[in-house]
Amino acid sequence: MRKNTLYSARMKMADLISADNELLSILQRTGVQLGFGESTVADVCSRYKLSTELFLMICNIYSFRDYDINVESLCAHDLVHVTNYLRASHIYYKSVCFPQIHNKIHKLVEGLDDINRRLIDKFYDDYDAEVTNHFAFEENVVFPYIDSLLSEGKNRKADFSISKFEENHNYIGEKLNDLKNIIIKYLPVEYSSPIRFEILKDIYDVEKDLHKHSLIENKLLVSLVEKIEKSYEQA
Amino acid sequence: MSKHKKIKVLLIEPSEIISLGMKEIIDRSSEFEVVSTLTSPELYNNIQTKPDVVVVNPVVVNYNERFDVRSYFCANNENISIVALTNNGYEESVMRLYDGCINIYDNAKRVIQKLQSAVEEAQNNPKNDVNELSVRERDILIAVAKGKANKEIADEFNISIYTVISHRRNISRKLGINSVPGLTVYAIMNKLVDISDFN
Repeated sequence: MRKNTLYSARMKMADLISADNELLSILQRTGVQLGFGESTVADVCSRYKLSTELFLMICNIYSFRDYDINVESLCAHDLVHVTNYLRASHIYYKSVCFPQIHNKIHKLVEGLDDINRRLIDKFYDDYDAEVTNHFAFEENVVFPYIDSLLSEGKNRKADFSISKFEENHNYIGEKLNDLKNIIIKYLPVEYSSPIRFEILKDIYDVEKDLHKHSLIENKLLVSLVEKIEKSYEQA
Repeated sequence: MSKHKKIKVLLIEPSEIISLGMKEIIDRSSEFEVVSTLTSPELYNNIQTKPDVVVVNPVVVNYNERFDVRSYFCANNENISIVALTNNGYEESVMRLYDGCINIYDNAKRVIQKLQSAVEEAQNNPKNDVNELSVRERDILIAVAKGKANKEIADEFNISIYTVISHRRNISRKLGINSVPGLTVYAIMNKLVDISDFN
């Protein structure tokens, strides 16, 4: 398969995965189970009550760096699927990615001297708290706002709008990048445990994923919500 | 050649005998003049005239604390030639940091030739792109790690906030660390600040 061909609904789901195995994690967070035989993407999506169009869009965002995110074809109905996906994605980070890194950090610091242990522990714990807050804000404020936009429409509470989210939405991968460089460059060479390499692989993976995740939030979610907000203003 | 057109040399050598002898040799040349002599690179910020060439005895450079000798003199990325003045050999990894090397047993003619080629070397192969922190950047990093705000740092160093921001951007680019907590970890790991400052 040519790498520059975008994915389509009539493709076999299995071909999608062999085109880019990183899409496995999209299946994992959307709850799609393996064993789909020769089913197409459209078949599998309808079986799991996912929006095919949105599913493809997310896969395209993950696989193609220059993919142009365009919400023209999406409507209010798809928005529920976007927030469902983002919620599922948060759960995936919180229950799979970050605990995995945390366990390894824990193993790494066991071998460090007192000062370096405290430094790494504290840095990671603070980062963990920042991530928790970041997700909690979206889950407790942003997503409920979107829910009310969809259910109440024009009569929704007027104390929030997606532009406020856009202004304050910072990227949560920054400290992860710092941690990566500290482990690569500055943690003394004496601490040469295999776990040090393993942590880096995990960090690179989650960093890449968080980057795509924030693209989905900043480009897809924000544009789609803005479009719906506008449609209510005009109504 | 008129005096003010001469290439300005800073001499850093702890031995007065060698320092005076070297100054005499350099000043006698038509192209170079010694504008200051110091016994340690730590005193560099006190001198009035900034040099084009620094002739420095590597024994005065603290390689554990600051491996890159250039960081003493090229805080703002100036293109200064740095020449080692030695009577014995140094490891290749150390000598690579210099644009040239004068041996104290070199004769006067050879000393001047080496200075000339060091100036050419620095012009042709600028080494100021190294990613070591400059002295000023290191001082600002320490202030940032201690939790000081840009405004406080600007006042302390008597520079504009814009300059502080520019230094911080360069620090982050060189280290690959952007967040303040990350910079603090770096500063403690490298013993620029003490962990007890944070308890």
